[in-house]
Amino acid sequence: MSDVLFEARGVNKSFGALHVLKGVDLKVKKHEVVTLVGPSGSGKSTLLRCMNLLEKPEEGDLAWQGESLRYRDMTPAQVNAHRARTGMVFQHFNLFPHRRAIENVMEGPVTVKGVSKDQAREQAFKLLDRVGLADKAEAWPAQLSGGQKQRVAIARALAMNPEVLLLDEVTSALDVELIAGINELLADLASEGMTMVVVTHDIGFAKRASNRVCFMDEGRIVERGPTEEVIDNPSSPRAREFMSALART
Amino acid sequence: MASALCRLLGCVLLLCASVPLAAQEPLTIKEGELSLAMSGAFQPFSTTDAQGNLAGFDADIATVLAERMGYQPRLVQNDWAAIQQGLQTRKYDLVCGSMAITDERLQTMHFTLPYYVSGAQVFAPPGTQSLSGLRFGVTEDSTYATYMREHPDGFPNVEIIQFGSEAEIVAAIKTNKVDAFVSDKIVGGWYIKQAGADVRPWGPLLYQEACGIAARQDSPELVRLTNRALFEIVQDGTYGTIYEKWVGVKPDLDVLLKSWGEFEQHIPRESQAELETEVEAEKPGFADNLDQWLSLFQRGAIITLQLSLLTLILALMLGTLVGVGSVSKNQIIQKLSQGYIVIVRGTPLLVQLFIAYYGIATVFNDVAGSELMGAFGAALLALVINTGAYNAETIRGGILSIEKGQWEAAASLGMSRPATLRRVVLPQAFRNSVASLGNNLVVLIKDTSLVGAITLIELTYTARNIVFQTGQPFMPFLVAAVFYLVIITVLDQGVKLWERYMMRSTGAKGAAA
Repeated sequence: MSDVLFEARGVNKSFGALHVLKGVDLKVKKHEVVTLVGPSGSGKSTLLRCMNLLEKPEEGDLAWQGESLRYRDMTPAQVNAHRARTGMVFQHFNLFPHRRAIENVMEGPVTVKGVSKDQAREQAFKLLDRVGLADKAEAWPAQLSGGQKQRVAIARALAMNPEVLLLDEVTSALDVELIAGINELLADLASEGMTMVVVTHDIGFAKRASNRVCFMDEGRIVERGPTEEVIDNPSSPRAREFMSALART
Repeated sequence: MASALCRLLGCVLLLCASVPLAAQEPLTIKEGELSLAMSGAFQPFSTTDAQGNLAGFDADIATVLAERMGYQPRLVQNDWAAIQQGLQTRKYDLVCGSMAITDERLQTMHFTLPYYVSGAQVFAPPGTQSLSGLRFGVTEDSTYATYMREHPDGFPNVEIIQFGSEAEIVAAIKTNKVDAFVSDKIVGGWYIKQAGADVRPWGPLLYQEACGIAARQDSPELVRLTNRALFEIVQDGTYGTIYEKWVGVKPDLDVLLKSWGEFEQHIPRESQAELETEVEAEKPGFADNLDQWLSLFQRGAIITLQLSLLTLILALMLGTLVGVGSVSKNQIIQKLSQGYIVIVRGTPLLVQLFIAYYGIATVFNDVAGSELMGAFGAALLALVINTGAYNAETIRGGILSIEKGQWEAAASLGMSRPATLRRVVLPQAFRNSVASLGNNLVVLIKDTSLVGAITLIELTYTARNIVFQTGQPFMPFLVAAVFYLVIITVLDQGVKLWERYMMRSTGAKGAAA
């Protein structure tokens, strides 16, 4: 048994006439943090969303722990089961505004796993404590700051005990001083062995937390390798151009 | 015949003698035109032709009379139940619509000499021995309804159900909603023959009645002029020709002239001032019987409330179901739901009420083999289907307003689509729709005022009934308006509370954690 958790082979995805992913291959090993960087519209988020089947590729294969998902033949229940083991955190948090913070965290275990409310509440409280929001458990999302909302969203994803965490530009919508706190939390999670795939423009975070970086452009992974190599010394001209542009900001 | 004509002549001379025909103010609402109202729903006296124009005995008489008087005739079709209100509020000059002359009506209106004489007849299923326990249809505000109420001995244990016209009564007999009815002997006979309803004249005439042309009490001159024209057309045979054309037999002029003699005392000759004081003193005022009227209103309000609240609950359930269906991924469910919304929103509630009452309820009862669905059931059905469509459209809008991120967040946790709808999308859709749903509720309560059309006596219908009884067209409606205002205001406050509860999560005032 290999230690590869997830693999994409020759994945193609279009939205109408827009060809977003053009034959992408990607391997994610257990306990590894993989960062996807690249300009907007390069297909990073779409690739991430293919991993939990929020998008279904037209071509190519997706495999989980060495076995093909056969995503074309999956029943809705099988799709849901796959999503339950891949936690996702969104750029705009997408908290359920009609539920209190702790209820947001309880929602997955109660509705999907059938965990009892008391047990789910206990676990949710621990997770909120873990992300530093124990005192906000009964708050409504509308009463939380952006950083606090994102912490609740992370706790909500962790509540399902996912095998991989998919992070889609989770700090892009936050004020600068809030970003560091979220990055700290994610780095801690990584050091505890959580497998992560991270879409980000935050090179500092990539350097600090990730093992490997994939640089994407126009629907392809143009360059991939250890973090330092791809960020500090990229070999392709397109990656070099992008990294130096990022460094100037 | 000759002696009859002599008496008639004397009678008319008497009329004309008391009329100084001064040509001051015009006698009609519009100079040179005489407008006459009829229901258009009382065949063969009053009906409409293939072009939608008023026709029948009343229409022909009205036209001829106006022409004899030197006016351009204008025939007005007005619902029978509101025909007196139209007259009193100067919508037309005269009612030439088979209105029986009664002491009660003489208190609020002037009448011409009778222009035909007929009688009230019971129509019952063949083989009927006793009228006891039968369900009777009568037209609202008719002399027949009054007679039945005043003679309970003749109609033991009967149930009286009011309808808008003879045609609806006959339809109700054919669909087994009533067993028997009372109407004019000529008109009733005409309708059962027309519809093939299985009822026959039962017993002798209840009473004879003479129909006159009604005028406001402020226009005695117009009444005298009309009487003179009526005398003319009876004398020269025009009347007989028209009568034979519509009724099928020659008129019995002796009976007509006899009725003229009996009516003589009612020919208006008092001065206007005397008359007004007299009427003021005699009319059973609205205030005099306030307790009685209020208890009637209470009964009407209960029907209105029952209908509104039951519809509120059922239409919310139906609306949610259809609202969800209209955004379903299943094409058939989606098209069915959207089709339902289009059809119901595209047809008037009144039409839906008639379909529910005369169509669906009838078929349903036939299949069930008993009268499970009455007027209340049919009204509830129509209101739920109608309001349900508006609620569905509101909830559909609420669902569509939920951003994609909410669906994705739920999906990323592994939640199924039904679970996402139930736990994430619908609660928020409701929250966004409370104000609109509350608005639908207010519209619904007002819409219940239409169910009177299918014999259910709610608030508005109660007010109309009291108007018929008192002849006062204003106060009863004002009282009904107050009742509606109270009901709507109270329920609106309920909606506001619900809205505040739903909005507690938005961090608005009073939503502290």
